[in-house]
Amino acid sequence: MKFLLNTGRTIRQGSFVERKNSPSYQTAAATIFMNPVDMLEIMVEEGDHVRVRSDVGEVVMQVSPDVGLPRWRVFVSLGPYSNHIVSAETHGTGMPDFKVTPVSIEPTDDPVLPVGTLMGLCGGVPYED
Amino acid sequence: MKIEDVVCSFCGCLCDDLVVEVEGTRVISVENGCTLASEKFLGDHRLKTPIRRDGNSWTKISYDEAIAETAEILLDADRPLLYGWSGTFGEAQSVGVHLAEILGAVIDNTSTVCHGPSILAIQEVGHPGCTLGQVKNRADVVVYWGANPVDAHPRHMSRYTTYCDGFFRKDAFKDRKVIVVDVRDTESSILADEFVKVNPGGDYAVLSALRAIVRGKRGIIPPEVEGVSREQLFRVADICMSAKFGAVFFGVGLTMAPGKNKNIRNAIEFTEELSRHTKFTISPMRGHWNVYGSNEVFTWISGYPYAVDFARGIAFYNPGETTSVDILKRGECDACLVVASDPGAHFPKECAEHLARIPTVQIDPHVNVTTHLSRIQIPVAVAGIDAEGTAYRMDGVPIRTRKLFQGQYPDDFEVLEKIYAIVKEAKG
Repeated sequence: MKFLLNTGRTIRQGSFVERKNSPSYQTAAATIFMNPVDMLEIMVEEGDHVRVRSDVGEVVMQVSPDVGLPRWRVFVSLGPYSNHIVSAETHGTGMPDFKVTPVSIEPTDDPVLPVGTLMGLCGGVPYED
Repeated sequence: MKIEDVVCSFCGCLCDDLVVEVEGTRVISVENGCTLASEKFLGDHRLKTPIRRDGNSWTKISYDEAIAETAEILLDADRPLLYGWSGTFGEAQSVGVHLAEILGAVIDNTSTVCHGPSILAIQEVGHPGCTLGQVKNRADVVVYWGANPVDAHPRHMSRYTTYCDGFFRKDAFKDRKVIVVDVRDTESSILADEFVKVNPGGDYAVLSALRAIVRGKRGIIPPEVEGVSREQLFRVADICMSAKFGAVFFGVGLTMAPGKNKNIRNAIEFTEELSRHTKFTISPMRGHWNVYGSNEVFTWISGYPYAVDFARGIAFYNPGETTSVDILKRGECDACLVVASDPGAHFPKECAEHLARIPTVQIDPHVNVTTHLSRIQIPVAVAGIDAEGTAYRMDGVPIRTRKLFQGQYPDDFEVLEKIYAIVKEAKG
């Protein structure tokens, strides 16, 4: 199914910004919020994993219901997971389109990767503290 | 030891009324702070020593080694990028700009992915703003547009708007009307007297409709504008026009949405239209605690608030070209110094990939997402906890953060001064 991805700050993400290797940060940054009716449509329940694809990449996240979201719109906290699928195109403004990325979402059994491993996919070397 | 009037160095509110208890070199309690402040002051998750990536592993190194190698990386680069700066104090930011000048580097701060578009709009049409004290004491209508203060600036409503009594607002909760405009329900929209739910990317059209209404052109408004009914638009315009003093606060929900700087320009012009009827002001909800300071310091020294390119020997500013995301996307820079921010987490993947390809050095107290992309990380003291310096609140008021104890880490200023000294000597 096709969705429009919005990203933004949440207090949970903000609470763990100084512990970005922690499972708590991973949970805060890798949770995709979705209208419960959409969750029914793609047959996922809270905590299930989904693969989120855009034109520039894909990433696995866990899903959580949010009745405040209109249908076909999803929200992810700003961070490395959402940015894995946001384009770097700025249209000459310096600012990427963090608020409107078209994505497709499907259930998966693949795991949500730790932050270090995700950066390893970008060419980095995970540092364990 | 209990220390009063402590300044919180997390978000742009720079709350200066915290009571912090310190035992040795640890904070053991925080009063008056929000969740974010408590996590910041009580957190004890620092990187202990400088580290260097050697192949596929990491090695602990000394400060002297880390500083010398950082200077060498910057001196070897043809097109270095110095990015971040919003999580440190003005004195360190100042050394950063001078370092960029001597290197012929690009220096950019986190405005580039938060309120850069706001700055572009302000450069076009000005900024009818005011201090938060004016809002607290006078405002009877507050508009949060594309902002979610409950999550991002948790004490904004209790210190300055909804829940805070002021000199002319003795019963603020009843006296003030709060309007929230957003594309989704948030913790903040629940608290609004009027919640305006806009379609994604519809802000510009809704602002234009409101401007038309304020101009007396109600007849041209269609039944619905980007998901907002004509009746609600009339109601919102009436609330605003009947205010004695109104304040618009806008967040990255407006700067990052389609339209970007043009959204902000329209919001400023909406504010100006309202000021033909009453008194209205508009201000950005700045995110990092000293991102406003980075704009101030960059401007004092170079003339430009962010995205400053010294490659020509003079300061050159062209957002869209000299902004960090664009430079990294083009694969243009061949070294990057990251100070007090986390582009690995907050830039798109293509940028993270380039940071991993080039020698990236990070100066930051904590392990963050950029750590995994870096070659060297140098831990430093945390401003407002074991380092002190000047910061600028989101409304442009300078506030001095305090050092609560003498810790074991050098601060950003000391580390940057040492790098600058090596570069200066090499450049002659």
